[in-house]
Amino acid sequence: MRKYIALVAVMLLGVAVAGAASRKAVRINEVMVSNENSIVDEYGNRSGWVELFNSNFAPIDISSIFLGYGPDSASMRNNLYPVPLGDVNTRIPRRQHVVFFTDGQPNKGTFHTNFVMEPGNFIGIFDADSSLIDYVQIDANLQTNQSYARTVDGAGVFRIRTGSDMEGQYITPSSANIIRDTNERIALFAERDKNGFAMTLMAMGVVFTALLVLCLSFYGIGKIGAAVSRMNKARANASDGAATVALSDVEHDSGEEIAAIVMALHEHLNAHDTENTILTINKVKRAYSPWSSKIYGLRQVPEHHSAR
Amino acid sequence: MESTSFGTFIQDNLTQFWELTGFANAEFGNFVMLAVGLFFIWLAIKKNFEPMLLVPIGFGILIGNIPFNHEAGLEIGIYEEGSVLNILYNGVSAGWYPPLIFLGIGAMTDFSALIANPKLMLIGAAAQFGIFGAYMVALLLGFSPDQAGAIAIIGGADGPTAIFLSSKLAPNLMGAIAVSAYSYMALVPVIQPPLMRLFTTHKERLIKMKPARAVSQNEKIIFPIVGLLLTCFVVPSGIPLLGMLFFGNLLRECGVTTRLAKTASNALTDIVTILLGMTVGASTQASQFLTPQTIFIFFLGFMAFIIASSSGVLFVKLFNLILPKEKKINPLIGNAGVSAVPMSARISNNLGLEYDPSNYLLMHAMGPNVAGVIGSAVAAGVLLGFLA
Repeated sequence: MRKYIALVAVMLLGVAVAGAASRKAVRINEVMVSNENSIVDEYGNRSGWVELFNSNFAPIDISSIFLGYGPDSASMRNNLYPVPLGDVNTRIPRRQHVVFFTDGQPNKGTFHTNFVMEPGNFIGIFDADSSLIDYVQIDANLQTNQSYARTVDGAGVFRIRTGSDMEGQYITPSSANIIRDTNERIALFAERDKNGFAMTLMAMGVVFTALLVLCLSFYGIGKIGAAVSRMNKARANASDGAATVALSDVEHDSGEEIAAIVMALHEHLNAHDTENTILTINKVKRAYSPWSSKIYGLRQVPEHHSAR
Repeated sequence: MESTSFGTFIQDNLTQFWELTGFANAEFGNFVMLAVGLFFIWLAIKKNFEPMLLVPIGFGILIGNIPFNHEAGLEIGIYEEGSVLNILYNGVSAGWYPPLIFLGIGAMTDFSALIANPKLMLIGAAAQFGIFGAYMVALLLGFSPDQAGAIAIIGGADGPTAIFLSSKLAPNLMGAIAVSAYSYMALVPVIQPPLMRLFTTHKERLIKMKPARAVSQNEKIIFPIVGLLLTCFVVPSGIPLLGMLFFGNLLRECGVTTRLAKTASNALTDIVTILLGMTVGASTQASQFLTPQTIFIFFLGFMAFIIASSSGVLFVKLFNLILPKEKKINPLIGNAGVSAVPMSARISNNLGLEYDPSNYLLMHAMGPNVAGVIGSAVAAGVLLGFLA
């Protein structure tokens, strides 16, 4: 019983750790302090915003985390906006984004914070247990309609983006910081490996390596297995007082060899192995498992009570 | 007046009903695909070509190509979100049927022949050249690298792997790739023997191989664990397929999970095979399937099978040059490097017996055959790693 309790406890701990770890993957991805021509909220108003990114490959629910804001990293904890519970939109799909408007009007909805940002200040994300997940100091030189964004979603350093049409300067609320219209890897293969020779060379190399390593491992395992079996055989022979067999002479007998020896004995000597006619009955012990227990699969027979 | 309006009511409804029928919505392509479906069923029942696959696929083609009014919003088409067929198709489109099939394959495969003679793994690796040969040809025909990779995997002769990879790299081509892969797998007895005869001499076909040594239970248990760790450390993108393959094999060999192994190799595999075959067949709707690309895919699939089978045989011949005389390998088992289990191993055996009635090659051919399963999963992982 203790074993099961321990197992369940370990599983629950694993689930708790996994759950907690997933929220650690939320990142501050892009910030705009002063917004005059960027996105509008659901009321048609423009305000600063902060974009969070789920860098995980699984959805994350960010309800009950906190957005903290302050003039320095320590004071962020004193000005927290709790992301409300019970809003389905707080579940961020894998590798996706969510935008909070920093308009200081939390009564407008889940995605409106209770603070307004200024350049040079700090904004951070805190988990429900108040542990810091991620933070950034907004560049003091950030101007109106400029954003402060990571070069790569969820990673990379923050840079000011002007919003111009130049590459790397786009302002991208609710979407990836790098806008890709093609898969770079595929484009690279299409450009550099037009005949597929490099792919063939690399891929066949990997396939051969993988199977060669497996092949060599099993040569090794086979040799070790044979050595162990030789040792066991020799030990058994020695303990029986039988003639010692030179270890190097012992080889695996093939099925054909055994069949040929048996046939030869049968044909020429008409020999039979003698049974010792002793019947041994061993108790078969099976480990108890509730999964296979019949008592859980059968209904109890109802007791019969006759009414008198 | 009342009788007229009642008549109009009947007429209007019948007209509407007529517009919903297959007759009103039929196009030429539907009839072509229905003929293809019937042909598959005929091949399976009358010619006994992979009936377990071709009957579900053939019938699936019939299901998927019954014409109906797509604009009626009846939620019956396989591509209509929320329809029953669409829900069943999720296992194909999201790629979770193939790993379940691999679980079953692992649970029903005895890797003893491979463990006893590990060098046969290299034949399984060599046969994967079919995949990359077809990849090069596909690029020549103008396919993009990701599409070429998805099509080329047909050369692995492994339906679940082909579906898994194409669902990731080229979902729009998946129907044609899957049908092509399964069709050529069914045609292995027709495609391989002429190639095996072409590339081998009479003397080579008579090579007798030493019987394989006995493999201990411990080795059988170690194999899936070491196999998983080694192959997946090299190619982590192969984890869904290789993980399930080796897991199924451990269930089989460990000796304490017989019930699970039986379920995985029988009931579970049967259920998933039915769903996979039927939905793959149903996904070949004429509008999606009857395109010039499909013809190219079938051509490339054929090429891939030829290259894979030939390279397996030729690799054995090359390998024999460095092997001592008593350890030479019969090149007739080279074709079994493709992972059409156990069909291609059976072909090796039959052809061997044709030239020497006492030369049973089945157990020897099973080595490269199961190595081919591992090899094609590794190759799929490599393509996924490079192109996803």
